[in-house]
Amino acid sequence: MKEAYETADDRAIPAAGARPACTLRQALVIVLAGAALGLAANAVSPRGIPLLTPPKAPPRAKDVVTLDEAKALWSSGTAFFLDARATSDYKAGHIAGALSLPIDEFDDYYPQIQSVLTTDSVIVCYCDGLDCDLSHRLVDRLRELHYRNVRLLVNGWTTWHTAGLLTHSGTDP
Amino acid sequence: MKTINLILRLLIGGVFVASALAKIGNVQISHAHGFQFSHVPDLAQFAQDVGNYHVPPRALGNLVAITLPWIELLAGGLLMVGLWKRASAWVITAMMVMFLAAITWALAHGYDIRCGCFGTVEARKVSVIALAEDFAMLAVAAWLAWREEDSTTRKMETSK
Repeated sequence: MKEAYETADDRAIPAAGARPACTLRQALVIVLAGAALGLAANAVSPRGIPLLTPPKAPPRAKDVVTLDEAKALWSSGTAFFLDARATSDYKAGHIAGALSLPIDEFDDYYPQIQSVLTTDSVIVCYCDGLDCDLSHRLVDRLRELHYRNVRLLVNGWTTWHTAGLLTHSGTDP
Repeated sequence: MKTINLILRLLIGGVFVASALAKIGNVQISHAHGFQFSHVPDLAQFAQDVGNYHVPPRALGNLVAITLPWIELLAGGLLMVGLWKRASAWVITAMMVMFLAAITWALAHGYDIRCGCFGTVEARKVSVIALAEDFAMLAVAAWLAWREEDSTTRKMETSK
């Protein structure tokens, strides 16, 4: 090992030749220690998440409403539209009249929403993007809480505002 | 050269520490109070941001979101204080390659998603600009990984 340092090449670029095995070991320690810290922090955090991403359940066809159905429900004034996205996204723009219920902060926001809902209320959940599963999770969560008429508008925000329907921005519905 | 390397180390290390803290501590920027640590890590949201890249295997998205910020914090912190400089520079180089691959993947598929580069603090979307920044950071990190000398290794060499 000692001889390796004394070759001409190594003297030309001292840093590049300096004990690569040692550096590699240290790099490995950094990665493993970081990962261990992360796992530990997640384990003790009250808001920890599962280690593996749970597979996304495909939406059940009967739960999904089309844009026209959503529009009709919206016009009827009897349905509640719930925005499952983060509050920052809600503030930037949402379906007019929709209430903010970010699924990731469900416990903080639900009490307010609960006061206006009954288990028979017609509820339309939405988020944004075809792959967005926030609204799916919100639908599941509300079902667990025995809401009977929960629907889903897939890719809700984009579909709604590109159709030129009424939207609103800010914290108010 | 030493001074330049020191500045580069502080710069890259600083960016990594800042982005790690943003993910771990969920710093919130409010107009009323400026920077604020809410102490509520929004890991679920960050995991969602990671998942939105749709880089397979999908099941590992959460694991990346859980571990990545802490590896960033360690590597960035070590690079800043000058301990295990080469090793931390290598780790950061490897992470930059990963980030570049992920951003390229997202851009190639036309995903209109949040970058997540600084956790959920910034609402910035994945873009060519983010790609360019990452390239610049990769170049610096790789330079440090290649040229930076470890004090421990130097000691070993001078003592012989």
